[in-house]
This record gives sequence, C-alpha cells and structure tokens, in this order.
Amino acid sequence: MKPTNTRRLASLVSMVVRPEYSSLLILVVMVAIAAALQRNFFQGPSLLLTIDAFGPLILLTMGQAVVMVTGLFDLSSGAALSLYTCILTYVMRTDQPATGIAAILITFVAAVAVGIINGFGAGYLRVSPVVVTFATSFLWLGIGLFLRPTPGGQSVNWFNAFYDLRNVDGMPSFLKSVSSVVPPVLILILVGCLFWYFLSKARTGRYLYAVGGNEESAYRSGIDTARVQIIAYVINSVFIFLAALFFVGQNQSGDARFGDPFTLRTIASAVVGGIALTGGRGSIFFAIVGALIINLVNKIIFFANIPYAYGTLVAGVIVIVAIGGAQLYSAYGKRAASKGRVQR
Amino acid sequence: MVKILEAKGIKKRFGGVVALSNGNLSAQTGQITGLLGANGSGKSTMSKIIAGVYSADAGEVIYDRKVVHYANPHEARSNGIAMVYQNLSLVANLTVWQNIVLGAEEKRGLLLDDRQSRELSREIVEQLLPGLDIRRTIDSLSPGEMQIVEIAKAISKRPRLLILDEPTAALELAQVKSLFSHMRNLAAQGIAIVFTSHRLWEVMEICDDTVVFRNGENVAQVDLNRDGRDPEKIISHITGETARTRQKTTLRAANTGASVLKVSNLGYGTVLRNVSFDLKKGEILGIGGLAEQGQRELMLALAGYYPETSGEVELEGRRIRLSHPAAAVRNRILLVPGDRESEGLFLRHSIFSNIVFPRLGARGHPLFTPFSKYKEECRKTIDTLTIRTAGLDMPVRTLSGGNQQKVVVGKWLSFDTKVLLLSDPAKGVDVGAKRDLYDYITRRVREDAMSVILYASDNEELVDFCDRVMIMYEGQIVATLEGEAINADRIIESSMHVGNRQEDR
Repeated sequence: MKPTNTRRLASLVSMVVRPEYSSLLILVVMVAIAAALQRNFFQGPSLLLTIDAFGPLILLTMGQAVVMVTGLFDLSSGAALSLYTCILTYVMRTDQPATGIAAILITFVAAVAVGIINGFGAGYLRVSPVVVTFATSFLWLGIGLFLRPTPGGQSVNWFNAFYDLRNVDGMPSFLKSVSSVVPPVLILILVGCLFWYFLSKARTGRYLYAVGGNEESAYRSGIDTARVQIIAYVINSVFIFLAALFFVGQNQSGDARFGDPFTLRTIASAVVGGIALTGGRGSIFFAIVGALIINLVNKIIFFANIPYAYGTLVAGVIVIVAIGGAQLYSAYGKRAASKGRVQR
Repeated sequence: MVKILEAKGIKKRFGGVVALSNGNLSAQTGQITGLLGANGSGKSTMSKIIAGVYSADAGEVIYDRKVVHYANPHEARSNGIAMVYQNLSLVANLTVWQNIVLGAEEKRGLLLDDRQSRELSREIVEQLLPGLDIRRTIDSLSPGEMQIVEIAKAISKRPRLLILDEPTAALELAQVKSLFSHMRNLAAQGIAIVFTSHRLWEVMEICDDTVVFRNGENVAQVDLNRDGRDPEKIISHITGETARTRQKTTLRAANTGASVLKVSNLGYGTVLRNVSFDLKKGEILGIGGLAEQGQRELMLALAGYYPETSGEVELEGRRIRLSHPAAAVRNRILLVPGDRESEGLFLRHSIFSNIVFPRLGARGHPLFTPFSKYKEECRKTIDTLTIRTAGLDMPVRTLSGGNQQKVVVGKWLSFDTKVLLLSDPAKGVDVGAKRDLYDYITRRVREDAMSVILYASDNEELVDFCDRVMIMYEGQIVATLEGEAINADRIIESSMHVGNRQEDR
C-alpha cells in the first residue's frame, strides 16, 4: 500500500511542477487584469474583436511550436506569411470568384514548397536552422516584393468568409448570425488543432518529439530524421498558410512586409507556453496559452493608458518576466526531481 | 549451428585515422561470440559497419549467405540485425515504452496503436527488469536502468543477429547476471549474439568463442569451449605483450601523513547523508559500493557542483566553501568526471584546446596567452600520458575512449594538484590505457604526495590502488576498509550492507 501512495504523490508533484502550468497561472492573472481594465472584456462584440486580434498569432505560434519541438527554429515565418498574402492577392481577380479557388491551391503548393526548402536546408544540408531560415526569410521577402512592390492587390469578395461571414455577399442569414457568435478565425484555429491532434496520434507526432529530443538516437532507431525535419517545416507552413487566409480575408490586400514583427513573437509565445528552446519538450496546445499571454500583454498596455513611448518597454519587461518565470519553474522542478532521485 | 554472418577484410578510415585495417568476424546462430580488444582497436567500428551505421571502405559483409551493403541502421534492422549501442540510443524526453517501440511503432490504420505498443514493451521489460514502470521518462532512470531499456529495445525487434556493444558497463552485478541468463535464452532460441565487454570475466562466463581485435585487425580467435578459458592468454592477445603478472602497488605507508581534506557531515538532499572522512597527504582513498549509491554525487559535491550542500569541508586545516566549481579549482581540488564526453571534454575541439582550457581561466593568467609555451607543455603532457594521436590539433572526438580519458587527466597536469577526484576513470577505457593512467597517478602520489579520491565501479581497481576504501550505501558511508581488509570479498560483502538495515529507516 505504502509504495503506491508515494508513487502517486510523486506523480502528482511532477504534474504540478510541469512548466506548462506556470503559463496557465500567468494567463489567469493576465485575463483578470485585462477584464479589470476593460469593463466589457467578456461581452460579445468586444470578445469577438479580441479573438480576431489574437487569432493569427495563435496559428503562427502553433506552427512555430511544432518546429521548435523538433529541435528547429523558423525565423522566416513572418516573411512567409507576407509572401502568402502576396501570392493570394496576385492570383485573385475581384470580378472572378473562381480565381479564389485557384489562389488557395497555388498558395498551398507554395506553402508546402517553402516548408520543404527550409527543411531541406536544415535536414539534408545540415545547416543550422537559424541560419537557413534567416537566409530564406530574405528569399520570401524578395519574391513577395517582386509580386507586390507596394501593399495592395485584389481579392474576391467571398474571401471575407475567412474573416467575417457578414461581409460576404449572398451569404444565408443564419450563417451570418453564426459568424457573430463563432468567428471564422476560431474555426481556422480549430482546424489547426484537429490537424495537430491527428498528427500527434500518428507516427509523425511521436517522431517530431523524438528527433527534437535526441536526433542521433532517433536516427539510430531507424527514423529518417531529415524527412521528419522537413515534415515539421511543412506543418509549420500550413499553419502560416491558415493565418494568411485570415489576413487576406480581413484586409482584402497583400503586403510583402507586414508579417516581419510576428516572427520573434511566435518564438516568445512558444517559450512562454512551455516549449523548450532545446527541443523535444512542451505541448503544442499549451503554445496557444503562450500566444494568448503575449497578445494580452499588448492589450493590457493599451487599456492601461500607458504612453506609447513606454509601452514597448513595459511589454518587453512583462515578456521577460513570463519567460524567466517559466524557465525558473521548470529548472526548480528538475532540481527537485534530481535531488529526490536516489534509492529505488 | 549455421554461420549467419561473415565479415571479411573490412577497412574503414575516419579522416586521417585508420579505424579498421583488416577486420574479420563471423557469428553462428545459437552462439555467443565475444568481441574483445583495447579501445580504439576497431571493435566498435566493426559492430557499427555490420549494423549499417557506417559503410565499409573495403571488404565485404556476408549476412544470411548474401553480400549486403546497408545504407542505414534501419535497413540492417529490417533484415534482422539489431545493435545495442555503447552510447545509448534513447530519447530522454520520451517514456520507456515509447523508446522501446521507437521506429517500429504498432499501428492501427494511420494512427498509433499505443495500447499494443505498451503491451509489447511491458512483456519484454518484465523479463529483463521486473518492476520497472514503463511509463517513466528516460531522464528519470538510473544509467543501469537506461541500459536495460536499450537492450529491451533491441530485443523487441526480434533480431536474428544481436550485437551488444559494452552493454554491461553501466550495470551492477545482479543486473549483469540477469542479462546473461536472458542472453542464454536468446541463444537457445537460435539467435546469434556478438558481445563486447572490457570485463574479461564476463566474456569468460558467457561466450562460446571470442575474437580479439588489436590496432584495427583481428589478431586471434579463441574457441572457449574447446581451448579452455584462460584469461592470461587472452590478455596477451589484447595487449600484444606476453602476459605479465600483475603486481600490487604497495605504497601503503603514507597513512601517517597530515590531513589534507577533512569532510564532516556533508549532506545533499537524500543523495548524500552525513558523509565524513579525513583524506591524508599522499593517500589514495577509494570509494566503492553498488552502482548509484551517491558516489558520483559525492565527487561532484567535492568539486563544487552542488552549492546547496550542508556540512563542513576543511582543506589543510582551513575551512573552505565549495560553492562553485571555480572555488574547487582555485583550491586545487580537481575532478576527472565520470562522463568524460559531456562533463570532461569539448569533443569537437583540439587536444590542445582541451588541455590548455583550464589554464585560461586560472588566476594569474597573463593577458596575452603564451601559445608557444603552452604548446610545448601540451606536447610534454601528451608524452607523459602517452596519448596516442596524430597531433595537437586533432579533435578530441577522433581519439579512442582511453586516450580521451588521458586528455581529461591531462587538463589538470600543469596544476599543483592537492586533491585529485577520479570518478570511475577506467570506465570504457581499454586495458593498456588503464595501466598508463594508473601508472601515472600512482607515480604522482609517490613523488609529489598528491592525494587522490578514487571512485571505481570495478572493485579490482580499488583493491589494487587504494590505501583505504569507503563503501557507500544509499548516500551514506557504511564501512571503511583498511590494510588487509581491502579485498574483493570484503568490498562486496560491505556493499550489500546486510546488517542493521532497520536502524537506517
């Protein structure tokens, strides 16, 4: 009887000290602060606006988290996002609804190609993923500028469906009312979550964690590690693609430069959400929590009436505290575990 | 008995180093073949070529009556060749069962069938190490348990040829015995096994025949069943010298020396409890016991790795605080750590960089590094320790295990060492290099009255070199042996710590 109790206690302790849970705690605190600052935080229209504002970073962070779990980085995710909006608006013609379908297909193929190129550099050519994706980010930017030197372009009307169904002409009214409760970006996120859920139940998901945890061991176990790394970048690219659909739906235009600020925020979000910088550890779903926290930082600063000049500084400090907290928490957990480890 | 494997005339070079010049090896179904040789003799390379990790530069591998060229381990494994690696091939963040099935997961349609995978893993683990929870992650296991998981992983693939590359290095005696009985079972089922170990008695006990490698080629094949089990003869094949009778180093006169390091009530969590001892000048103090009883942690604590320890440490009568590794180095308490690859070396850097590195951080280092002077010193170090290498600038990675260990010791050579901490220095080190190392250390002890604390997992080393031996059990020192009491029987007896167990609880 006794040993099972101790074991139960030990597993309980290891659950509590999981680094992810510190991020949940931070999230609750931040939501409370945001709700206190913004009276109508939880009310319908304002909540919808919040979800629309938060959605893209969530999608991008999930992609980045997949890449980081595999022990890689993607410094080109913002540039790739910009590129996809450029391709979409380059292909589409406002007066020909069918071009929307073509645009989606072509951009999807481009997204897969982007993932393969990044993965080829990191996986087969064995160049550091930071270097590879930093270099390719200029490639994506260059192609984007070639297609769309200045922001703009055309979009079919029904692309609004990725942002707000109420803006789509000829949409049945009951669907429009659905849109006022469940915004399309939430559905995009849900699609992303389902996509990841099935991957995590298949070999691919396990292999991403194995390669991120110890590439050499994974290779010796007969896993084609370079292929797994390519797959990780392609999955990431698909998440970026989903975010691009949302942005073109919202803005009805493309821009070769607007995505850049997202890149480092996705990495920060993933780390706050408990994804290890060294790979192999962390949950993709908790990365969403990280993205929510990073988003809330900006929201709180806005509603707290902090002057713009200091806003960035305050945001920086909060992010550092959040990341530092997550790291300390997990370091403490590890130390506690190693100290207790002896007689068995 | 069928000859399932025959490798002929295998050659392999890594850059400028010839790992194998002419390797030959064969294995029969139902037989256990021992693979012996000093580190760097090419036996690991040989195993890895057969398992598809490396490809041979020349020669042919005949497996199952066909000439094979495997491009990767996966191909070899799908043909029934499984290998247990010297450096573990486990992924630390995954669980035991996830590791066992890694690369060959059970599937149902597109998705993983984890229930089936767990069932399979549990079955195998149950045979090898009953009671191990397969849901634990690898990073929470002891080195011995990890090794067992590694073996379970290889067996789970139902191989026809199983290559075990030093599987017993991290195991304690009981685990070795249980592994051996399982190996006999596998052999009885008709599996061919190739077994590598540095411990001669293990090969004597388990193997049917043995192949000895030296300097990249096989120099002898001994059928142990027919020719008898004579260790001296095999040692002479390994070293290439006529067997010399081992002489016991008797320097047991120094016990009367002054106290150098006095430790009282050292504690660290539950890992170290009330550790007290007094190390004399010119003494080699041994630490023994079963595996994982806190010996490694004691060495790390004395080297300043655990700032939160309780208790007192006095160096030559002066109280010191070992709050940081730099503090230990400043006090000339120098550690040769147990895991040389991750704790002792910069594997990709040159021998020179590795040896000179501690100097750069030492107090009183000149502003501009006198490189030519250091190079000269480094050359001397290489001579003194007989490190076998093509030059100062060779990456440490290219050296054999024994020579790597000499580099770790060489790091501290230029320091005026007061206390040298040796954490299992002969682990994974071949017979020749081991002799060089201990020759050097005993000479320093005799000539410079250096004091040494030696933790060795091999009791023979404790018996041969130590003036006193302390036995650790569950983080405590449970016995101290002196003089005639230092012999293998007494060490094993004290390690088990049979008496007075209730009092501890």
